[in-house]
Amino acid sequence: MRTKRTIPAVAAAAVAALALAGCSGGTSGAPAADVTAEPTYEGKLSLLTKFAGEPLESYFQDLADAYTAEHPDVEIELIQETDQSIKDKTKTLTASQALPDIYFTWTGDWAENFVSGGLAADLSEVIAPGTEWGDSFGEASVSAFEYDGKYYGIPLYNNGKFMGYNTQAFADAGIEVPTTFDELIDSCAPLRDAGYEPIAFGNKDGWPALHYLQQLFAYNVPTDVLRADFDPETAKWDDPGYVDALEQFTTLVNECTDTGAGTNGVLYTTAQEALAGGKAAMYYQEVLEFDTITAEGSSLTEDDFGIFQLPAPDGAAGDPAAIEGAPEGYLVNARSPQAALAVDFMKFVTDPENAKTLSSPPYGQPSAVVGAVTEDTSSRAVYEGITKVNEASQLVGWLDTVTVPEVADAWLAGGEALISGSATPEEVLESVRAANEDAQ
Amino acid sequence: MSGQPTKTRSDARSGAGFDRPPTLTKAMVAPGGGRVDRHARSRFARLAGLAWVLPAVVVLLVFVYLPLVQNFAFSTQEWDIYSGATEFVGLENYEKLLDDPVFWTALGNNVLYAVLSIVFQVAAALVLAALIESLRGPRWRKVLRGIYFVPSAISLTVAGLLFYFIYEPNLGLLNNFLEAIGLGALAQPWLGQESTAMVSIIAMSQWQGFGYSTLLFAVAIQRIPTELYEAASLDGIGAVRRFLHITVPLVREMTGLMIIVTISGAFQVFNEVMVMTSGGPNNSTQVLATWLYRSGFVRNDFGYAAAIATVIFVVTMIIALVQLWYTRRRRVEF
Repeated sequence: MRTKRTIPAVAAAAVAALALAGCSGGTSGAPAADVTAEPTYEGKLSLLTKFAGEPLESYFQDLADAYTAEHPDVEIELIQETDQSIKDKTKTLTASQALPDIYFTWTGDWAENFVSGGLAADLSEVIAPGTEWGDSFGEASVSAFEYDGKYYGIPLYNNGKFMGYNTQAFADAGIEVPTTFDELIDSCAPLRDAGYEPIAFGNKDGWPALHYLQQLFAYNVPTDVLRADFDPETAKWDDPGYVDALEQFTTLVNECTDTGAGTNGVLYTTAQEALAGGKAAMYYQEVLEFDTITAEGSSLTEDDFGIFQLPAPDGAAGDPAAIEGAPEGYLVNARSPQAALAVDFMKFVTDPENAKTLSSPPYGQPSAVVGAVTEDTSSRAVYEGITKVNEASQLVGWLDTVTVPEVADAWLAGGEALISGSATPEEVLESVRAANEDAQ
Repeated sequence: MSGQPTKTRSDARSGAGFDRPPTLTKAMVAPGGGRVDRHARSRFARLAGLAWVLPAVVVLLVFVYLPLVQNFAFSTQEWDIYSGATEFVGLENYEKLLDDPVFWTALGNNVLYAVLSIVFQVAAALVLAALIESLRGPRWRKVLRGIYFVPSAISLTVAGLLFYFIYEPNLGLLNNFLEAIGLGALAQPWLGQESTAMVSIIAMSQWQGFGYSTLLFAVAIQRIPTELYEAASLDGIGAVRRFLHITVPLVREMTGLMIIVTISGAFQVFNEVMVMTSGGPNNSTQVLATWLYRSGFVRNDFGYAAAIATVIFVVTMIIALVQLWYTRRRRVEF
């Protein structure tokens, strides 16, 4: 009982403390970072990553050690967070005006907030297409961080979502890789008969459902409508394709997962382990996870691991060649006194050699640097996945980062409600429209 | 009287100036007699006392009261954390609270939490404490107290994680246990569905807090003179009536305190919900503190979060005032 009392008080105090920090002044009037200046190799450089935990944690640590070995007067402070914890950490640091010199970002609305708030340095002069550094990346990756014709982000790796599957399970069930959404659903019964959970799925954190939804939206909703709906000012969220997509998702959950309506009580990592442990036949995952699935200790070997794009429904009104995914990268703090050094360090991080290391096992993060992901450097699945990403007609970003937070939150709750069966697709859409109205 | 300082009552007890430093004694000597002296000493004592408590007062002001005031001020604003821009919106955030269905769900969950906590951590804990204390062997009493108290020694976060895995639909201990004893039909995705998630979290919380309450009641029962029970036994009064007519009335003070503390705790629940469901599925397990967190840190609506914080503050402050009032007035003497 005593422990309980402190936490909300701390939470309330945190909000108040953030209020204090927020009231103490905005970013206006802050000197613009000179990212083109010749760096002075001295002082402390802080970096916020989302690489906490093995095997990724050592990547930036090794780079920081190598960089400081070359420049002994530079100290690099690493703040490594996980995919989940970095969201809170970044917002807390933002509110208290304590953002590090370099910090992780997703694309879409997430990055746009920092750009429009004047917290991200304009890197156009050093990273825009046509510049030496800019041309070392795929143009689409650099352009993913373009706002109003200016380039703000340093893309570290590309990413996309695919269905990973156990080839042995498919052989046991006597089925082929499905090419349509209906075929995917039809494959679930024989897989279950063969002793596998057809699709492992854990939605405790809410966002895994959004990954299914966003890919199905891209298939079912015309691209121009979908893009317009990401912006609260132009959004309507009333295309009939949304209802189709939500119904398809419900069918998949009910027909192909063992937990069905209880999936909200399962961790994402539990589902991941079900495929890696050979208990499940399929699991919808990001390219970033491929090497983890077949890492040492997994029952699933690299040879038994295959991937395919979530099949599109027949005759859907959207784009069947679209893939859900986006590059992820880093922003340089617009008010950093070490902006030039920050750029220099990130050039070091993205040089061809370090880009190849990032793309190789055990990291398996497909670098956005051209030529870093090859059949020789990366695992077969990572190479295949990133090739498909590069060949996609378009990339559609994660639903909870391309929409504003209120709308994203409504989709999170809506996805959970669909799974537990407490809301119909129409009711979910209604709550999203209400959230959009609030956000306008 | 004139010309000589008069001894104060305390001086009279300890010897004039005996326990005072010479400079103080000098300062006490004032023309005009003892009244001035007493005032001077009293003023000095007040100033000295203030000097001692000043650091604590400053810390309290800066880290407790100022944030509280700032929090209220902030609840009347909209704040963009990215640009730092703030806009005064008056009581708009409070009006928004009234129209927010999730806020009402959260409030309802806090109330449910409070009600069930009173049932288990007050009523049931009192019965259990009485049963334990009625045991004849002191060794068994000690063993049982220890067994029931152990969960309280585990942090809420750890307990939450533990129960998350107990409730897990596929691998969890609870469903597997139900299946093992032939009650597989009762197996549920306990945290994965709206109908059972909140009650499952509350159940964990009761398991965690039950032993602590029991121990407190046991201490209260130990204070009751045994003669009362012996007299009742001689009169042929049964155990249930002894409990109802002796134990319950004489632990009234502790019961009142426990009710207030339990309700207060129920309105500040945070850890276990965050660990087990993060407020889901579909916001069904949101409580005020988690909705505060989600509004601020997920939805970027920090002004609204501050308004929720104010509501929690007001509710818990009222409970705290009731607690103060109750503990001053309700003294059971025997």
